[in-house]
Amino acid sequence: MQEQNPEPRNPLGMDGIEFVEYATSQPQALGAVLQMMGFVPVARHRSREVTLYRQGAMNVIVNAHPEALPGMSAPGAHPALSAVAVRVRDAEFAWRRALDLGAWAMPTRASVMELNIPGIHGVGDSLLYFVDRYRDFSIYDVDFVPIPDAPAHPPALAGMHWFGVVQSVFADRSRDWVDFYTHLFGFAPLPGGQYFGILPKGTLLVSPCGKFYLQLIEPPSGAEDIDWEERLLRVGIGAPDIGAATKLLRERGVVFVDRAPVQTSDKGALTQIYLGSVTFELVKGDLSPARAGSGS
Amino acid sequence: MNVDRFGMDTITLAGPLEAKLRAVRDGGFTQIMLAARDIVGHPQGEAAAIAAVKASGLRVTGFQVLRDFEGLSGHLHDYKVDIAKSMLAMCKALGAPVLLACSTTSAHAEDDRARMAADLAKLAMLAVPFGIDIAFEGLSWGRFVNDVPAAWDLVERADRYNLGLALDSYHMLATSTPLDILDDIDPARIFFVQLSDFMWTSTPTPDERRETARHFRVFPGEGVHSDAIAALVRRLDENGYAGDISFEVFNDDYVQMPLDTVVARANRSVQWLLAQVPRRSLPFRRRAG
Repeated sequence: MQEQNPEPRNPLGMDGIEFVEYATSQPQALGAVLQMMGFVPVARHRSREVTLYRQGAMNVIVNAHPEALPGMSAPGAHPALSAVAVRVRDAEFAWRRALDLGAWAMPTRASVMELNIPGIHGVGDSLLYFVDRYRDFSIYDVDFVPIPDAPAHPPALAGMHWFGVVQSVFADRSRDWVDFYTHLFGFAPLPGGQYFGILPKGTLLVSPCGKFYLQLIEPPSGAEDIDWEERLLRVGIGAPDIGAATKLLRERGVVFVDRAPVQTSDKGALTQIYLGSVTFELVKGDLSPARAGSGS
Repeated sequence: MNVDRFGMDTITLAGPLEAKLRAVRDGGFTQIMLAARDIVGHPQGEAAAIAAVKASGLRVTGFQVLRDFEGLSGHLHDYKVDIAKSMLAMCKALGAPVLLACSTTSAHAEDDRARMAADLAKLAMLAVPFGIDIAFEGLSWGRFVNDVPAAWDLVERADRYNLGLALDSYHMLATSTPLDILDDIDPARIFFVQLSDFMWTSTPTPDERRETARHFRVFPGEGVHSDAIAALVRRLDENGYAGDISFEVFNDDYVQMPLDTVVARANRSVQWLLAQVPRRSLPFRRRAG
């Protein structure tokens, strides 16, 4: 009889989100939206049409590089949330473990002298990266050149920090994806009925580091006709005071949806759809910005 | 029971893929179980085969068959993972919701149930991004797993939501599997049922089972185990199984007969089966769960 040792709660030593990436053929347009949301362009990739935006502990990469990976679509006009990079203790360990458990490896796209960031295929055309260099030096130091006169570490507006990522799934497929995130990463589903923000639906999973959430959303029942696909839908941004955050962002030109059932409240807010596909959800949750950004 | 739950399997019919699809559709069936060789063996290539399936309007029940996946190690395991990926990609291209995987017959596999379960869990994980279910079937001549209880044990150990069982009446009859095992299995974990009978009373050895399975199966109602098949279908129905039922009838004579003649026999079998099951209308579920 083999002893059943329980897996450690955080098998990869996950430590939050390093960056999220959008793919788009209109990087300037998306850049303008990101800047309205408080992100600042801080660096450009050495060899590809890729820009790094940052505020506080949140890094966003805008990838307009036309040469798509084999089997993946080239960036379209509507920006797509194309990757999430998670911080882990040992990226190679995390990647090999994921492959052993049945993840699909992503072919490398690093050029000479660039970092080869290991990744696996996620939902739809998206990728999930493992990053372990974020303490002593950052991955951006290798592949990116700072934008002259741009602040390297612009502070977050209204204490904003990553709250999570929302993914659409096909009907009856949530539990498959719960298996995916539980076994490959150590996420844990929250008990039914525990939600944050103003869109309380679907299945919520908490990361093993406790620093962010995944929300899986199936198509609404009775909506067989709508064009539903499995993909990363949007990011959730946490803020300690939603009223203060939405006020600040409105002054910068951000438009929030202000009709039921997604009316702005002290729980959260949802921006309008920008560029045909991009929305941001603000959420007041139990993640303090200090905890989210501490890297501990 | 709903007639639309019954489907044909291409391996039962002779001829090119397009002729099989046409005969099945013209015979009134709405779904088809496909085999990899229908696709890769198409004279105009894979894309033409996929286009033919899409053009037929038939719903794809599933795709078969991944063999000898579990229990291997080292380069043999890696090789099988590559094969599985290729089959999953074909499933995706065809819109097949289920990949059938059958228990290993490989002399190189090891009887390590924990490893076999981990291998099936890995296979299921590979299928998640494609939205595909894995239906695991215990072949009656499988090396370690050769009946429903053993197959169910592995599926339970692997514990993945998109991994379930495929039941094949032939293997259950060949190994005289008591139906009571079905009462221990959540019907939602049965992803797929294949029905066929055969002409002999018993098949005591694995070699006889394999030989009979590959050449001498007949449609339900045509063989000598009609009562047992009726009991199986009734039990599945009573337990709430609401998925697809496909005729997997390997028969050397059927592949020498006109397609519409074979499809007509399949239709007789559907009517025979419907007569065995009380007429109550179960909700038809596209996906178990």
